[in-house]
Amino acid sequence: MRRSLTNALIAGAALIVAALSPAEAKDTVKIAFIGPLTGGNAAAGVGGRNSSMLAVQLRNADPKAKFAYELVPFDDECKPNIGVQVATKAAADRAIVAGVTHYCSAVGIATVDTYARFKLPVVVWGAILPDITYGNDYKQIHRVNGTMINEGKLAAQFLTARGFKTFAVVHDTTDYGKGQNKYFSEYLKPAGGEIVATFPVSPDQQDFTAELTRIKELKPDMIFVGGLTPLGVRVRSQMERLGVDARMAGVSGIMTAGFLEGAGAAAEGTISFHNGAPLSKYADGQAFADAYARAGFREDPDAYGPFAYSAANLIMDAVEKVGPDRAKITAELNATKGRPSLIGEINFDDHRQNIVTANVYVAQGGKWVFWPDSEYAAGKRTIAGR
Amino acid sequence: MPGNGLPKRAAAVAIPALAFAGLAWLLGAEREWEIVTILVGFLAVLVVLDRTQPGRAVAAACRAERSVANATAVIATLVVLWTFREEHFALLMVATVALSATACVGLNIQMAFGGIANFAAAAFFTLGAYTAAVLTGHTALPHLLVLAAGGAVTSVLGLVLLLPVLRTRGHYVALVTIAFGLLLRNLLEVNDTFGGPQGMKIPAFAPFGFDFGTITSIAGIEVSFYLPYALAAAALFGMAFLAARCLELSWIGIAIDAVRTDPIAASTFGLSPARWKATAFLIGNAMIGVAGALYGMMNGFVNPNGAGFGESLTLISIVVLGGLGNLWGTVAASAVVLALPEKLQPIQEYRLLIFAAVVIAILRFRPGGLLPRPLRVLGSRDGVEA
Repeated sequence: MRRSLTNALIAGAALIVAALSPAEAKDTVKIAFIGPLTGGNAAAGVGGRNSSMLAVQLRNADPKAKFAYELVPFDDECKPNIGVQVATKAAADRAIVAGVTHYCSAVGIATVDTYARFKLPVVVWGAILPDITYGNDYKQIHRVNGTMINEGKLAAQFLTARGFKTFAVVHDTTDYGKGQNKYFSEYLKPAGGEIVATFPVSPDQQDFTAELTRIKELKPDMIFVGGLTPLGVRVRSQMERLGVDARMAGVSGIMTAGFLEGAGAAAEGTISFHNGAPLSKYADGQAFADAYARAGFREDPDAYGPFAYSAANLIMDAVEKVGPDRAKITAELNATKGRPSLIGEINFDDHRQNIVTANVYVAQGGKWVFWPDSEYAAGKRTIAGR
Repeated sequence: MPGNGLPKRAAAVAIPALAFAGLAWLLGAEREWEIVTILVGFLAVLVVLDRTQPGRAVAAACRAERSVANATAVIATLVVLWTFREEHFALLMVATVALSATACVGLNIQMAFGGIANFAAAAFFTLGAYTAAVLTGHTALPHLLVLAAGGAVTSVLGLVLLLPVLRTRGHYVALVTIAFGLLLRNLLEVNDTFGGPQGMKIPAFAPFGFDFGTITSIAGIEVSFYLPYALAAAALFGMAFLAARCLELSWIGIAIDAVRTDPIAASTFGLSPARWKATAFLIGNAMIGVAGALYGMMNGFVNPNGAGFGESLTLISIVVLGGLGNLWGTVAASAVVLALPEKLQPIQEYRLLIFAAVVIAILRFRPGGLLPRPLRVLGSRDGVEA
């Protein structure tokens, strides 16, 4: 009886101390996360949400943090008009000080005006359309992931340096495929390459006999595919069937497990370019993967998860430094230079775009392998020798 | 029925007032229990009105005292708008609901009055927005005329569809409109004059020199810039409503109804089915186009995504859910289809599941929609019993 009374007293005293102690009386700061949580791109969106949630959880567990953080997730369904609605909702909420926003480029470009109008600083975590940062001069819009400019530039320089000089381009007619074609062609000329033919196709075109027969006549060194996995699979397997004697390279859209399964043995030696590096290449990659697994998320972080994680951390660092004030956070984010993060050093240029170098991957033995680690780079296999 | 007038009028005031109070609560609701309560309450009121004797009497009273009910709705709309004058997001939702309800009034004229299944409604809606984008971008046309032009262009382009629509019936009309929608979307995507897949930016609506985008106060009281948009959208709905009602009550409406119910009988009485179907189709299209033009100016952008088949299905589901031919039903259904998923954001990826369950429940227990259009009894003294 006496013991329980003592316990109650101790517990009571502990409660009072906890309530009075400044360390526990943290103000809560809200940060929005916006991405596609339903629909065809939900895997990427949920991965991004989980990753930024992880960043918030880790920060809240840190006793040195001055504020308690709360992530408010919104679903943009990858639809521009829904995106504007949720962006308005997040931006009009005075309690939200910043946002980790958008995976889909179409949504990302539609919402920039909304953020600028409401002066909500945001960090884009996945959309790769260059215009989101380069098409305006809004101080509120930042981006940690690279754009398709990086991918196109690297693709042009890397491939020409490997001795491929003539290219045939097959790209889909969405903004994704068209943009990829534009930047690849732009950087190919100065790099010394030449495009012998360009074929814009619908993303769901099934039969490429006409295009590939023409390509067979032109005999380019390489076929460059600007599109998503289904397009890549069809072109690669039909090249094989028609006996087109060329190699294939593709943009990040084909760098999926689906491409390797779909194209089967023909996938071997296909080159792809992606803004993200494998988790194991980041200094803290293993720690991130471990923490992610410990937090018990069921879904994979996906390729852009580390970017969402870094964007959330960048925002929370700014809040720690200048407090939960939108204007001050904007100024702080604008000045980001040489900031270490999971995805490497973050440097914003004059359009608040992180300077990222893309990476080269190659399909080797049924896996996408980081180029410097591959047997192709080591000279054990050659792309030319099928 | 003299002596019965007062309670009837009271019912005609109470029901719309209750509905708008519910809508206002839904717009302001933040916590999950509130949203669930509203949802359950809404469904309960529907059941009471439909399945009980006093409920049916009240519903009949609303119908009999139509002008009282409509006047109440107008006042209630203004009260709701004024209550939310500083809430950006709530006003955006009100404007979105009002504009899609306006488009659905047009769709109702086509589908419920004229009997033409239009599965390209979203394509025409987007066309209105594109018209606004081109006209505001390249000409100095006053913005009120731009709205009218949005309707005119949409109507004229509808003429393209007229011939195949008049020569086909039933499912085939649906197929023709589906094909048109896909065609238009693809055309907009590959055509760089209209911005390609990224779409176009549209300046804010500025009738008589009042730029809606920069309004921050009215008569010294601080308001959201969405307030004028919400007012304009509500006014547009009011006009569409009046026009549709006049059309329905006039001999034109009777001719269109007759042609839909039995084209052969109608033509033996000297009514040309082609002529009246065309009339219904073009009037409906004009309304859809005007609504689309204002929606585009409010959102500040338009892109081909909005013209997709899925978006058209959303508009059709509003018409069907609201009850074919009932104009107030489109408002209630727009609120369910557009505002409910937004309000379910806190449950993230599961929200569309709940939304779908609600839609299925409504259609299971009210197969005719929320407020179905009763059969017209042309012999009655009022002329119309609707």
